[in-house]
Amino acid sequence: MHPAVYKVGLQYLSGDIWGGNARCIAMFQAFKEAIKDYSTPPEKTLIRDLTARISSYVSFLIECRPLSNSMGNAIKFLKNRIAKLPLVLSESEAKATLMSDVDRFINEKIIIAEKVIVKHAVTKIRDGDVLLTYGASSVVEMILLHAHELGKQFRVVVVDSRPKLEGQLLLRRLVRKGLSCTYTHVNAVSCIMQEVTRVFLGASSVLSNGTVYSRVGTACVAMVAHAFRVPVLVCCEAYKFHERVQLDSICFNELGNPEAISKVHGREDINYLDGFVNQEKLQLLNLVYDATPSDYISMIITDYGMIPPTSVPVIVREYRREHLWS
Amino acid sequence: MWWRSASFILDRQQEQNAAVPPNPESLLLSSPPPSMADSLQNPKPDISAYYQTRAAHHAVVTSDWLAQAHAAVSIQTDDDDSSVIDGKIAPAAGGRGGDKAFSVIDEFNSWRKQPDLAEAVAAIRALAAVIKASQATTMMELEIELKKASDSLKAWDTTSISLTAGCDLFIRYVTRTSALEYEDFNSARSRLIERAEKFGEISCKARRIIAMLCQDFIFDGCTILVHGFSRVVLEVLRTAAQNKKHFRVFCTEGRPDRTGLRLSNELAKLDVPVKLLIDSAVAYTMDEVDMVLVGADAIVESGGIINMMGTYQIALVSHSMNKPVYVAAESYKFARLYPLDQKDVGPALRTIDFGVPIPSKVEVEKSARDYTPPLYLTLLFTDLGVLTPSVVSDELIQLYL
Repeated sequence: MHPAVYKVGLQYLSGDIWGGNARCIAMFQAFKEAIKDYSTPPEKTLIRDLTARISSYVSFLIECRPLSNSMGNAIKFLKNRIAKLPLVLSESEAKATLMSDVDRFINEKIIIAEKVIVKHAVTKIRDGDVLLTYGASSVVEMILLHAHELGKQFRVVVVDSRPKLEGQLLLRRLVRKGLSCTYTHVNAVSCIMQEVTRVFLGASSVLSNGTVYSRVGTACVAMVAHAFRVPVLVCCEAYKFHERVQLDSICFNELGNPEAISKVHGREDINYLDGFVNQEKLQLLNLVYDATPSDYISMIITDYGMIPPTSVPVIVREYRREHLWS
Repeated sequence: MWWRSASFILDRQQEQNAAVPPNPESLLLSSPPPSMADSLQNPKPDISAYYQTRAAHHAVVTSDWLAQAHAAVSIQTDDDDSSVIDGKIAPAAGGRGGDKAFSVIDEFNSWRKQPDLAEAVAAIRALAAVIKASQATTMMELEIELKKASDSLKAWDTTSISLTAGCDLFIRYVTRTSALEYEDFNSARSRLIERAEKFGEISCKARRIIAMLCQDFIFDGCTILVHGFSRVVLEVLRTAAQNKKHFRVFCTEGRPDRTGLRLSNELAKLDVPVKLLIDSAVAYTMDEVDMVLVGADAIVESGGIINMMGTYQIALVSHSMNKPVYVAAESYKFARLYPLDQKDVGPALRTIDFGVPIPSKVEVEKSARDYTPPLYLTLLFTDLGVLTPSVVSDELIQLYL
């Protein structure tokens, strides 16, 4: 077990690193370190052994925290690159090629993709808009800050939910840059939706039938927005698209810590569930993700441009082709 | 908590802060002859040139044109662009400082006047003329010239989406095929010119293909509701009449262009039973209607359409009464836009003549077009086949990526 990978795994476990892009980049940096320090054992080929090594690292990371869809796609890319290495390359050349491939992936598919998404998304923000966002998505944060830099006059409503309260981090960053913000909990979203003109959401992944797989609570916000006829814009990089199809939130999800919902941080007096946690008739269900049906989504903004949710399989098809040729 | 101000108050504040735009009513009657300095600018940027042309081709003569014709006869005024209907071309073309003997905008205007030619095709013909007149010796140079010409065309009329779509399509074709290494420059150039000329034929052929596809959907005894004057829809109905189908057509009046009057004339010539409705009577007659057939000015990436004002209303009524809405349009009208609501589509203003003078304090909604979301459309008939609205994005991705 390489120390860099161990470190990243523990960071996932403790929740220090969260968010699809951050986890993917951290994982890749750790793998780069591992590849740099790797040397082929005698009697083994680089390709097979390195693939096996990476697989073992991935199993460790899965034990710390289940992989997100974006990480799954990224690992598939890496394994593909390893398998495609020409046999004539020496070990150091092979390692250098791999590391530059990983760098290129991070640069093209994550960093530049975010910039392209921001460029497309700010064209949809007009003066006088009231923008609502849920949770803390890195792309949405960049969009709002960039629009503010461009001088557009708008205000932001940040909707948050327990137990993670991720929205507070986003709120801090926005207020520090001088945006006018409103902060509320997801229980109040139907009250505030009357004033909202656009909803910007991030995604952990977008599935082939247009379903958006994102932080739990997103589906709620999207549904209320749809009822109030407010357009919902989902911002997601193309590497997070997946060919899987999911019809509801239960069949494939991640379970978080049940303690987090039975206790409230800083409120020791709320202890009604003390002693109940181990009852067999009680299940504390802390889901991390949920699936938003494509009917509630007006548009998906990707680095390929603005597409309707029905065109996700087209992007997946084109994207796969790129994979095979690059 | 901050409350959002009522939108109309904000709009008025914005208008007051911006420079006061000239009153469009007066513009039509007496626009000053464009000076040399801004001869490349569209002299009436507030009014959509696209809808002016359509009005010129298809609408009934309105009272202000009559008044203007009187004025032109009685007083010798300078030519202005509104005398386009007389076939005279404004002298703004002559003497552009001598730096360019050829102007793509003139070329475009001359093509645009032909009533049977679509706007996008006129743009492509104009760009073909640019290639012919160009003195470039390499593909890159030619591409740059084309890009400049296309940008100036788009800037001339910012409201016309099919113009933008046509230009983009042609430029895309040029860039995609210019990488053929073995071709020498002159043969590449002649190939591009040939392709552009062929595009005009494709446009006519497209209408015939669409008409053929549509025949299966028109059954004997059906009632079709039509809105706006679309040459494609006319072709569809003409072909159906020629195939001896028995159907009748409800035509909306289509104010302010009164396109319905023109369309009902054409249909009467074909011996098709036609009934004229005022625009407000659509919901009233929707019970008797079997299908709605409209054309489109542009088909956007979401699968919705941008068409003459009133289309959205009709689509909403049809949807609530479960009547299918069919759109007949050529594939070059696919545009890379994605409106989220009505305001997202750039405004295309045109003057509305109410027949009586309106006090200046009263505002008039002058927008000429609206956006119909794909939810309310059933099928699109294009030369690529019979498509559902979600396929539009598919085609655009394949073309542009």
